Amino acid sequence: MSFALEGISAGYGRVLVLHDVTVTVAPGEIVALVGPNGAGKSTLLRVASGMVRASRGSVRVDDRNLDRASIEQIARAGVAHVPEGRRLFPGLTVRDNLRLGGWQNRNRDLEPVLALFPRLADRLRQAAGSLSGGEQQMCAIARALMSQPRFLLIDELSLGLAPVLVDEIMARLVAIAATGTGILLVEQDAGAALELAARGYVLENGVVVLEGPAAQLAGDARVREAYLGI
Amino acid sequence: MARDHLMSQFLQATLYGLLQGGVFALVAVGFSLVWGVMNVVNLAHGAFVVAGAYLAFELHSWTGIDPFLSVPVVAVALFALGYLVQRYLVNLVINAPVFITLLLTFGLELVIVNGMIMLFTANYRSIPTGYATTSLALPGDVRLPLGRLIAALLAVGLTLALGYLMRHTRIGLAILATGMDRGAARLMGIKAAHVYALTFGLAVALAGIAGAAVGTIGTFSPADAGRFTLFSFVAAVLGGLGTMSGALYGGLLLGLAEAWGGQLLPGTLVNAVAFAVLVVVLAVRPQGLAGRSFYAARVEV
Repeated sequence: MSFALEGISAGYGRVLVLHDVTVTVAPGEIVALVGPNGAGKSTLLRVASGMVRASRGSVRVDDRNLDRASIEQIARAGVAHVPEGRRLFPGLTVRDNLRLGGWQNRNRDLEPVLALFPRLADRLRQAAGSLSGGEQQMCAIARALMSQPRFLLIDELSLGLAPVLVDEIMARLVAIAATGTGILLVEQDAGAALELAARGYVLENGVVVLEGPAAQLAGDARVREAYLGI
Repeated sequence: MARDHLMSQFLQATLYGLLQGGVFALVAVGFSLVWGVMNVVNLAHGAFVVAGAYLAFELHSWTGIDPFLSVPVVAVALFALGYLVQRYLVNLVINAPVFITLLLTFGLELVIVNGMIMLFTANYRSIPTGYATTSLALPGDVRLPLGRLIAALLAVGLTLALGYLMRHTRIGLAILATGMDRGAARLMGIKAAHVYALTFGLAVALAGIAGAAVGTIGTFSPADAGRFTLFSFVAAVLGGLGTMSGALYGGLLLGLAEAWGGQLLPGTLVNAVAFAVLVVVLAVRPQGLAGRSFYAARVEV
């Protein structure tokens, strides 16, 4: 019972970005995927949500094979993707954005996500495009949660956000995972991600070079030198 | 008195312009919707307007049903046509450059127009109604033709209703979201291909209803398809792409410009008014009156 990307090779056109990458996430588990710019982290998430088709390997949710599934079918299978750049619907209100998150399961109950991100409650009637960066990230995660996903994929949560906001949002992820939702967190800020996660993967040039318990990765000499600047 | 006469002529032209403009709004709103949501400039839009007029005409001549009462039938038939055309034809090139979709819809227009010429001949027709010549006398020696009033009220009512439905229904929200960012909408589990087909079906249904209205207040023939596409284009650009209210403002302004132009210009030049309006708008305010900002943040997967 888990979300699994197995032996994924994928890319754009003839250029392969990922080579035989395997990543799994169990329910309620936070998994960090770290690595430098251009390593293929975002591409892996795009494969996971069907936005990029893998040339080899398989995408599975609970042993259900989603290799040939469309983006909307994967979303309906319980995998919610908070994409790079958040991709909110900027001209629509926060409320409409959240409703769209619950479109597929007809979930109109905003209370649970507003309890997680109380700041959004004051912004419901505001256009999503007018929110601050941190609020937009909260709105994007809240929108993804509206579908009551079993697995949540988050791309570059910290990008462009003030550190205090990153801490605030990351603390919310712990609460989300505690409800049983598995989280795959792609981050350039390896320190913060590995501190939060139970397990982690280090991706370099499209290959998993290290994997294991997050604490162990954070203590690894190569990781410390390359990503933590220690 | 000459001045009184001029005044009432001006008022009469203004009233005609507004009534005609209301119908233009309904002609244009579907065109604007498809452009705004799918980034497809549908050159066959005017052909669907004429098809709606012919369907209402045929329904009237078989059953004697009033063209305004046949609107639901016309709407359902053209919705189905539009849905199928988008799903199985336009959808094939939906990711292609805009030039390809222009070519496809241009070809589609030729097929529909020539099909209608074969079926119905190229002769001008009009759908007769009992009240076509009835008009109410207003103060200032201005007459309000009943048929045009019904057509304009229906058209404006439907245009406003569409705007409301977009904002306040589940499917409307899905259409707006898909128009803003198709990839993000699909991540929400929204079936974009189905939403596109619904959007196109809705646009064609509204075009068909506009055609039924047009058929009662004037004459039509297959050759008018291009004119209606031009009106749609001008009204959509004038009002600002993709917004329902923009199509309404654009349609009303275009109607007024035509009616006033008709008072001032020799008959043959009236047809140039729509072009002149388009050129002025594109030169002075290319984002239209209502602006395009609503759809500005378009992202493709």
